[in-house]
Amino acid sequence: MDGPQDLGGKESFGPIEVNSPDYRHDWERRQWALTKLVATPGVTIDWFRHALETMPPAVYLSVPYFQKWNANNMALAIDTGDYTLEECVTGKAIQPGTPAPVLTVDDCETLQRSLHTDFSRAINVAPAFHFGDHVQTDARPTPGHSRLPSYASGAKGQIIAHHGAHVFADAGAKGDHSAHHLYTVEFRASDLWADAECPDDTVCLDLWEPYLASA
Amino acid sequence: MPSFDTKKIEQIHRDLHTHLPSDPALRVKALESLVVEKGLVAQESIDNWIELYAERIGPKRGAEVIARAWTDPAYYDRLINDAGQAVKDFGFEGHATEHTKAVQNTSQTHNLVVCTLCSCYPFSLLGMSPIWYRSAAYRARAVKEPRAVLAEFGVTLPDGVKTRVWDSTAELRYLVIPERPKGTEGWSADQLAAIITRDSMIGTQRELAI
Repeated sequence: MDGPQDLGGKESFGPIEVNSPDYRHDWERRQWALTKLVATPGVTIDWFRHALETMPPAVYLSVPYFQKWNANNMALAIDTGDYTLEECVTGKAIQPGTPAPVLTVDDCETLQRSLHTDFSRAINVAPAFHFGDHVQTDARPTPGHSRLPSYASGAKGQIIAHHGAHVFADAGAKGDHSAHHLYTVEFRASDLWADAECPDDTVCLDLWEPYLASA
Repeated sequence: MPSFDTKKIEQIHRDLHTHLPSDPALRVKALESLVVEKGLVAQESIDNWIELYAERIGPKRGAEVIARAWTDPAYYDRLINDAGQAVKDFGFEGHATEHTKAVQNTSQTHNLVVCTLCSCYPFSLLGMSPIWYRSAAYRARAVKEPRAVLAEFGVTLPDGVKTRVWDSTAELRYLVIPERPKGTEGWSADQLAAIITRDSMIGTQRELAI
């Protein structure tokens, strides 16, 4: 979707704070832990991302990263009916539950280690493209969730790897787990940017087959 | 179950923005109180997750993997062919590592990793990302002007070195293998791991100091 998350190539953000820490505030660490430890049932990684992209654009662009995660965790659970807006505002549960068991650091490590999700899927469709093929990406803005950034839409590139089929992000954001062939496509910087810094530079993106046509 | 309805979730986000306090610390406190009271998580578990990332998971893991690759050619090949599997030798698999791709710097190529659409990162190998990695400035600029970005990190590429920027648009995560510095011949994997920095594994550092 053509939203505020699609930042590649956008101008005027200024210098990078190269010495910034991992966190500025304690609440950022706590929100990170909350997001990883409290899952809303049925939320896919792509619905999580898509929901985050639908924040008011001015808010998305101006608040700290983990503040967005905080709002998104609330929004996703309000959507499913697990929390109400009032509960999120007051921090008080309408119906308190039985206290959850404590996870030790070792338990957390076991949980963390289990999060290596395999997104590859076996499908009965042969790949349309192969190593070395020239392709062109879809030039039209995609409704809903998409992982084809606008800076690379309508651009010509070359397949440098095929990864088999992976769960298609656009579908995953709708709760559909269908898969398509996934490729790494390498683009020449000069095919993406009129004022590329160096013609030999390249940008590589991982793109699903529905984004691509033969060029 | 989620609605998977864009219009509905947009409206919920607008409602939250209208009704929540502006201070993010208060928002996180409210969410934490709520989920603890609902019995979805214990407060001590949150503390322990934070401790896990402070003490056990961080860039030293990625450094250990690369140091082994530098000292063990067979492991190097496995890391290049399937890094997601290779890191399991160390028990480092976890959040966002299943489809890890290791990309090596050479005398002709410098690799740089970004996620322009969100902030994808190989957490289980590198720990929490630095704020700059998740900033709008880095996400916007790394793909368009990697050389200007590198210059801000103090990196000037030698003539003839091209940049290859990896934008993590699917579930692949990228780990840069920096070039092994001259003068480290005969070093042990532990000695080598100690000189490999987080930024060199993202690509915002090229030369390692010895």
